[in-house]
Amino acid sequence: MIINNLSLSKRLLFAVTIVLTAFLGTSAFSLNNAFLASADAAQQKRLKNYVYTLLTAADLDDSGLLTMHDELAEPLFSTPNSGLYAQIISGRQIVWQSASTLGRFIALPEHPGPSKEILSIVELESGIKLLNLAFGVVWENDDGKEYEFTINVSEDLNAITRQKEQFQRNLWYWLGGTGIILLFAQALILRWGLRPLNEVAIELNAIESGDRNRLSSDYPSELNQLTQNINNLLDHEQSRRERYKNSLADLAHSLKTPLAVFRGELESSPDLADIKQTGHEQLDRIASLVDYQLQRAATEGKSSLLAPVSLGEIIHKILDSLNKVYQSKNIHCQFDIQRDAFIHADTGDMYELLGNLLENAYKYCNKQVHVTVISQLDIIEIRIEDDGNGIPEHAQQDIIKRGKRIDTQVEGQGIGLAIVSDIIEAYQGEIALKTSNLGGANFVIQLPNQ
Amino acid sequence: MRILLIEDEVHLREQVTQQLQKQNLTVDAVADGEEGLYQGSEYPYDIAVIDLGLPKLSGIEVIQQLRAAGKEFPILILTARGRWQDKVEGLEAGADDYLVKPFHFEELSARINALARRASGWVNATLQCGNVTLNPSSQEVMNEGIAVDLTAYEYRLLHFLMLHAGEVLSKTELTDHIYEHDQDRDSNVIEVFIKRLRNKLDPDKITNPIETLRGRGYRLTLPRDH
Repeated sequence: MIINNLSLSKRLLFAVTIVLTAFLGTSAFSLNNAFLASADAAQQKRLKNYVYTLLTAADLDDSGLLTMHDELAEPLFSTPNSGLYAQIISGRQIVWQSASTLGRFIALPEHPGPSKEILSIVELESGIKLLNLAFGVVWENDDGKEYEFTINVSEDLNAITRQKEQFQRNLWYWLGGTGIILLFAQALILRWGLRPLNEVAIELNAIESGDRNRLSSDYPSELNQLTQNINNLLDHEQSRRERYKNSLADLAHSLKTPLAVFRGELESSPDLADIKQTGHEQLDRIASLVDYQLQRAATEGKSSLLAPVSLGEIIHKILDSLNKVYQSKNIHCQFDIQRDAFIHADTGDMYELLGNLLENAYKYCNKQVHVTVISQLDIIEIRIEDDGNGIPEHAQQDIIKRGKRIDTQVEGQGIGLAIVSDIIEAYQGEIALKTSNLGGANFVIQLPNQ
Repeated sequence: MRILLIEDEVHLREQVTQQLQKQNLTVDAVADGEEGLYQGSEYPYDIAVIDLGLPKLSGIEVIQQLRAAGKEFPILILTARGRWQDKVEGLEAGADDYLVKPFHFEELSARINALARRASGWVNATLQCGNVTLNPSSQEVMNEGIAVDLTAYEYRLLHFLMLHAGEVLSKTELTDHIYEHDQDRDSNVIEVFIKRLRNKLDPDKITNPIETLRGRGYRLTLPRDH
């Protein structure tokens, strides 16, 4: 629940922090382990090297006495309290001690056996801990007599521990520092990356408060599709709102005429039959005005956001209905509809457009109606023909004139074609009235279809 | 001819009922979809006039259920919403015609008569059998060109007989189609009406326009003239 409400940048930052911490933590852990292991191994190797140094520096005389060269390669052996000590033991007796020991001694581990070694930690009385490597050697003098010695090399553990601690401290400083820098960088990157989203939000706010009409167009490509669609939606809403407002204003204005006519008749005519007659006429007029303006307000209009609808399906449904209603007229309807005639339009608008045209054809035809739908690249053409009396040429212009309001139209025209004209206008299409080969009217409608 | 009217708006329902009764049609008027569906399933109607926006059960559902129950009488829908999508939906559900509100009563009456004619195989607006003609819109009955004066129930009976000229109609059927469902009915009255009709259409007892088939009912014998 809380996670769902988290802002995008907080989500990302949260996730990145967790991943980074886990990553740096495991890195530190494994680096530390690897270092400790290699430090231990290096120490053992060093001790062993000291053993070899001592071995090369030692000499055995015929009586089995061990002597050591004065100057050892490793100066730490000669420096008192240097932390590096050596002693050679024969049996339970100390044969030789390095100068660094200052004569103190150190525990006596057992003889590990020839060429064997024992690693152990010994503790001095002073509490200092030493890591001791005991190495067993068997020396043969010229007579072939064997002497056993144990060479012990010890190193102060404190120094090593300090070294390890130093390493760990350094490790944590570095990793911690890197982590903080990475997080900071991440926060900056997020801010930069999400800035277009913030800008959209700001622009949308501006639209809401009326300071802007649409979103600007210079957004990253991932957002462009979205902002484009929002713009389309805004345009669509805008034109719908305008149509709504216009039809409301038109309705109010156009109702005034019949009301004025009726009032005039009421006030001036003494004849009740006349008043009744006028009342009927004006009521009819009001009814059709209401129908027409309602229809206009309900028109959705062109929008690329609308799903494609099948014109064939709509036409078939309307024809089924009309065949039922006009059953007694025995109309023969021929249709020629391209299978893939789909259009991005509102279903209700298409029903209205085709319903009105087809009903007109059924009403005014003799016996035949012909419907053709051709889907071209970016245009859909619909032709509705009948074999009726047709429409006289001088009236044709009036019938299909665009934007012509119903209240200015010729009496008796009905509102069907006015609605048709309005819908075609809302879809930026064209309507033409021609004469059909069947002899009657031929309405040719072209609607753009992107 | 008996009509079922389902309309929830009380003024419209009363006005339409009165006007239809003035035309000597038998009208059962109900206010909601459930009641309408019940009436439509229980009684034999010649036609139903159904408003689409009904309480309890929508007009579309009433039509669908009546059709699913095998009722074949013609249905005329009344709708305040003149959208084509609604009209198509209603006709698809099983209605036969539609009328958008507000409508002229003459228009409604003409549509009802047309649907009734169509359902019983008539083509012309005026029914003619032999020398007898009946005009449903003016309720004028002529016999050999001379106006015949009929009472309301005699007219209703003759209208129904003429719509179904040539068919045998039982007494119950005749009663069902000329009386509203809440009216007292006595099938013996039919005999009286038939007798009076015979006297008025054939005073000299030559043509025998309505024959009695014992135990089965009555039949108008005058030939249909489409």
